[in-house]
Amino acid sequence: MKLSINDKIAILADGAKYDVSCSSSGSDASYKTGELGNTHNSGICHTFTSDGRCVSLLKVLLSNVCVYDCAYCINRVSNDIPRTAFTPRELADITINFYKRNYIEGLFLSSGIIKNEDHTMLLLLQTLRILRHEYKFNGYIHVKLIPGSSKELIAEACLLANRVSSNIELPSSKSLALLAPDKTKEKLLQPLKHAREITMERNAKPISMSTQMIIGATGESDFEILKLSSNLYQKALLKRVYYSAYIAVNNHKNLPIPEFSVPPLKREHRLYQADWLLRFYGFSYDEILRENENLDIQFDPKTFWALQNLHLFPVDVNKVSQEVLIRIPGIGIRGAIKILQARRFKKLGFEDLRNLKISLKKAKYFIIADKDYQKSIPLYEDRLKLALIKSAQDIIQPSLFDMSIYTGEI
Amino acid sequence: MILLYDGSFEGFLTLVYEVYYQKLEPKVIYKKIPSKLCFEEIYTIETDINKAKKVFTSLQKTFSKSHLNTIYHVFLCDSQNFEYDLLSFIQLGFKKQNNLSNITHPSIFYIDTLEKEYLRLAHRMYGFVRFEELDDKIFYAKVETKFNILILLGNHFNKRLGNHPFIIHDIHRSLAYIKENNFRGIKEVAAFETPLHSDDEKHFKTLWKTFFHSVAIENRKNHKLQKQLVPLIYRTYMCEFQDD
Repeated sequence: MKLSINDKIAILADGAKYDVSCSSSGSDASYKTGELGNTHNSGICHTFTSDGRCVSLLKVLLSNVCVYDCAYCINRVSNDIPRTAFTPRELADITINFYKRNYIEGLFLSSGIIKNEDHTMLLLLQTLRILRHEYKFNGYIHVKLIPGSSKELIAEACLLANRVSSNIELPSSKSLALLAPDKTKEKLLQPLKHAREITMERNAKPISMSTQMIIGATGESDFEILKLSSNLYQKALLKRVYYSAYIAVNNHKNLPIPEFSVPPLKREHRLYQADWLLRFYGFSYDEILRENENLDIQFDPKTFWALQNLHLFPVDVNKVSQEVLIRIPGIGIRGAIKILQARRFKKLGFEDLRNLKISLKKAKYFIIADKDYQKSIPLYEDRLKLALIKSAQDIIQPSLFDMSIYTGEI
Repeated sequence: MILLYDGSFEGFLTLVYEVYYQKLEPKVIYKKIPSKLCFEEIYTIETDINKAKKVFTSLQKTFSKSHLNTIYHVFLCDSQNFEYDLLSFIQLGFKKQNNLSNITHPSIFYIDTLEKEYLRLAHRMYGFVRFEELDDKIFYAKVETKFNILILLGNHFNKRLGNHPFIIHDIHRSLAYIKENNFRGIKEVAAFETPLHSDDEKHFKTLWKTFFHSVAIENRKNHKLQKQLVPLIYRTYMCEFQDD
């Protein structure tokens, strides 16, 4: 039976949907007069799906045919599902037509492994070549590097794409061996290392790279996960690590049973918050958690950290530096910048902070502002916890998909 | 005292001029005579191009480029009563430029916040605008927005649509940003007929809808979050939210 283009897009978008990354940020304007396409430094969301995720890129597989048999993956060879593929031309045409109608910022292209690694990578590159060379498309392209493909192909991908990525899939080598027999940590990180070397030779700045790991399919603690992310950030290998709450799609002896498994969304949310602390708030992973610990579910990681470190509080918002301000629970980068700007003109009290639209619900327990400080609750961990839980009922947790001008991500 | 001006940028600059030279102290500024009963004295500003030009020249001399942009952006927030605060923003700036970063002053904070809202709306619409291909190959989009962001939208799509002609039609304001042949800029829309679509248009709309539905993860369904991120008011012209 021959599938229509519409059938193909349904199957191949469905196969790609567990990839979390959809960001189109971090590339400076790339337009050339008379040509199609441009990138926007802070990224643009074009719509949001019914699960509340941003759609920025046309995220599809070139093909869902795959020779691998990874236990957690919907496209593994042993699954009986309809298989199909776009030709590079078909996909390039859809991309261009979606782009012109402003449905998308560009393309996020991945694929199952067809025949072998090099053959797959080559097909991905053909699509990119048509887009960049023939259609002169300057919009955003994110392409998956196929682990195990040759260095020359990776070099070409780095030339054609704005971002490349390779998913490390699971947080430890042990879990990989258990669930993804065709993959090892070294093999998965190899293309990223190549890509970094290659682009560093050409430019001072490495190409933007990201990775993703599945949370909750295996037994690693949040401490291990954050330590791994932190290492990847520190080596400046990656721009982003994405966490994906495991959604059971397959039956496997080493995996949670689909019928009884609920994706750990709250844990995923806390991991993203902790990840934010690593990347933008100057925290180190061992400040956030101790060996083998998991993130607290009740309190966000910054509040939890503050409760463990009450000897550092309260702090005087009229005196301390930005680094200290952003460590106050409830005060973010934007709030800190406002405080720094405003206190040049006057000494700030609680009323001034409220006028600046800075929420004091959490922060008030941890600060002194001119003559103001909260007097009703003593600065003890359990008393504060109770007070915070009580007020938390009407605190809206900041959404992780918040369009933030500072992070520029989704 | 209540000041009345005609709602144009020139009119507002004339107002700035009169307030300065006649030492007026307005409590409120309106575009139209309020229908409510009021006991305040009403003073009508007659728009005067020469006075407006004088103010404009000295604005350019005194204010930084980014503060000038703030003034333009806030002026385009046409559904807000920004006039009183924008006037004090300009007065404070003429006194001392450093005043303009004092966000503990209510007018400065208001203008700052309003501009951010304006830019946030534009950024959102960079993503939410939907073009349709017409039978003459022009790309056409309809928008309805709280503030007038046509110029930002026009500049944005100028950079990405290459040589393709396009029209962005602001339905409520009866304005359109047009790029066609050698013209690019904003025109008033006098009459409007529903355009015919190209043969391909329906096909790609269908593909897009299929993609939009396939890429959502059933186990993570969260309509509340979706509504927060694309409020219903933006969905009017987004084809993925329309039934066939």
